[in-house]
Amino acid sequence: MEERAITLTTSFAPAETVPRQPRAIGALRVSSKRLGERSVIGDLYQSGASKLLWPRTASGLTGVMLNTAGGVTGGDRFEIEARAGVGSRLTLTTQAAERIYRAQPGEVGSIRTRLTVEAGGRIDWLPQETILFDHSALRRSLSAELAGDARLLLVEPVIFGRIAMGEETREGLFHDRIEIRREGALVFADATRLGGAIAAHLDAGPIAGGARALATLVFAAPDAERLLAPLRALLPPTGGASLIRPGLLFARMVAPDSYLLRQSLLPVIELLQDAPIPRTWTI
Amino acid sequence: MATAAPTAMSTDTDPAVMLTLAQWFSPAFPIGAFSYSHGLEALVDRGEIGTVAQFRDWMAHVLEHGAGRNDLIFLSAAYRVDRSELAGIDALARAMAPSSERLLETVDQGGSFIRTINAVWSQGLPPLSYPVAVGAAARACDLPLEPTARMYIHGFLSALTSAAIRLVPLGQTEGQQAILALTPLCHQLCDSALDAPLDSLGSSTFLADIASMQHETQYSRMFRS
Repeated sequence: MEERAITLTTSFAPAETVPRQPRAIGALRVSSKRLGERSVIGDLYQSGASKLLWPRTASGLTGVMLNTAGGVTGGDRFEIEARAGVGSRLTLTTQAAERIYRAQPGEVGSIRTRLTVEAGGRIDWLPQETILFDHSALRRSLSAELAGDARLLLVEPVIFGRIAMGEETREGLFHDRIEIRREGALVFADATRLGGAIAAHLDAGPIAGGARALATLVFAAPDAERLLAPLRALLPPTGGASLIRPGLLFARMVAPDSYLLRQSLLPVIELLQDAPIPRTWTI
Repeated sequence: MATAAPTAMSTDTDPAVMLTLAQWFSPAFPIGAFSYSHGLEALVDRGEIGTVAQFRDWMAHVLEHGAGRNDLIFLSAAYRVDRSELAGIDALARAMAPSSERLLETVDQGGSFIRTINAVWSQGLPPLSYPVAVGAAARACDLPLEPTARMYIHGFLSALTSAAIRLVPLGQTEGQQAILALTPLCHQLCDSALDAPLDSLGSSTFLADIASMQHETQYSRMFRS
């Protein structure tokens, strides 16, 4: 016994200097299909720390993603694959805000999402806020493949430290990439790249003017143009919207904190979603 | 070893190369650079940029954390690939434009640049977004990457400073002082971005990008972006 203990101590010695955090791994694969006038669950696979709940809602098929690990830290890996089958509509949101916790030096969490929307289908990707804690590190990517007449609404709010809780994201890493293809052709890409002294960087006028909350919105639909003027009317002075190309509406806004971001965001989601906001957002 | 950064066009640069690049990035080269403000006009209109110090701060962030660094990555990527692979890089460069006017800014200048290159240097390049066009043309015309990239980013700085001189307005001397002050940043970006892969593209100039969206609905404007 004693000998074994010594062996363990020796072989694990390097790990003691930089204690490894336990890693969380989660995977979700879900699809929707059309059944008569309704959208219903097609395939569903969930593993590790990722769970999908299906609360009864008044309208539509809404999956609520839940991270049983309680957050994301360096080295965690989450993968999500969602598909809206022909003529079906799938809304995905989260149970709560996703917390990205302090990471050990050199460790980076990873969240990868792949969305596919088939002909006549629609996905509403409406996660609640992603909250970046001080010294958090996250690489995130979302790619979407759309059929010719498919629709996609993406809303991604990110909070850089909860001011009300006295938190500040002084240092960290946040790389966030979005790529949207329609019939195989790339129609939109965004790459947010923040690293090092994030809070000080956000204070700069051309970056965020001191804001600590950011929302990225994309609405891809053949008739997206119809919503440009009403969307603009709802945006705060620190927000903007543009129909970058036919069928592709992009909007971005910053706000001092998550409360004020939500105030601006809720009517915008309601407009673009053309349906009641998922209940998890409002409770 | 390579020479230090400040000697951008070192004495060993072929004089013919120097003058070809001077021609490409001269204000006389017909790409219409004078008609784009990259969203600056909206910020001046709202009173957020009204001094040379505010312009320099905006310009430095756009260079380092916005289109400046990304354009260098696109230019370098386009320079390194065969003509058959340009379309993919160009599609990404277009897709990353954060507003319709910023898309117009890069597509329109790139299209004009290519038309002149094809007509004057007898090339057969397709229309491309501006940084991809410059990378592809430099390779097609056997010009070295690094001086081309340094001239490109300096041209970007000069064009937007010229817009600021008209918009803010700034004095001519103040404008030249701003360019001189930001030139070391141009060198620094070339030193780091030319070897960066497309995976390292990224920006964080959220409010500068939002300003370019807001410019679309501005009541009175001189610039197309």
